[in-house]
Amino acid sequence: MEYASIEREIHIDASPEVVFDVVSRPEHIREWWDAETAIEPEPGSTGQLVWEDGMTVPITVVAADPPRNFTFRWTQPEGESATEGNSLLVTFELVPSGSGTTLKMTETGFRERGWEIAALEEQYREHVTGWDLFVPRIKERAEQVGTGR
Amino acid sequence: MTTATDDELWSAIGDPTRRRLLDLLLESPARTATALSDRLPVTRQAVSKHLGVLDRVGLVEATEVGREKRYRVDQAQLERAAAQLQAAGEAWDARLRRIKKIAEAIERQP
Repeated sequence: MEYASIEREIHIDASPEVVFDVVSRPEHIREWWDAETAIEPEPGSTGQLVWEDGMTVPITVVAADPPRNFTFRWTQPEGESATEGNSLLVTFELVPSGSGTTLKMTETGFRERGWEIAALEEQYREHVTGWDLFVPRIKERAEQVGTGR
Repeated sequence: MTTATDDELWSAIGDPTRRRLLDLLLESPARTATALSDRLPVTRQAVSKHLGVLDRVGLVEATEVGREKRYRVDQAQLERAAAQLQAAGEAWDARLRRIKKIAEAIERQP
């Protein structure tokens, strides 16, 4: 059992370029994370994730190599630079796969950061439940629009 | 949320040797430090030190039998640690599902 990292992989029927934009651009981050942010997909770009209920978490872009890699740190204490030991490191790796993309996500830093952040995730999960019910409807809508591009 | 304690608990299970110790104790409870060190590439002294860390955060309980202590895992505390990371993983599962839907919807746009 590995306690100190989270690793996930998902296949997406969209090009790496599209997936890169979705994981890295504020207008899309708003949709999948429910949080407003003003970060740019550029190394060093620093900002905040702000949820509707007022929860605010710092975020700093570590690497942005479109359309292959997008890496950021988050949860560092307010006012501190994000470094190993004070934040969680999230890496999105995009690998072309057929006509789509395999998106690999790794989150590390729980061991160093302490696991109150894992409890924060649990809070977040409660927020997200309503959205999960809503997602299938969006998929239906998207499919009605038909194929193109 | 008892943050300080949680931090210690987290770093206690972050160490590979301590995780191996927990696995061994889950397989067969009530082992001594000597018995555990026979199964690991570390000395009995090192095992005792690691068991001390696990004991302090409540992940293992020691019972004195004669001159030696026998250790077993505190399941409730271990499950609490595992559950919190699992919650974090599930939060990412939800986010990745949303990333997939959004990207696929954009791809399909005429």
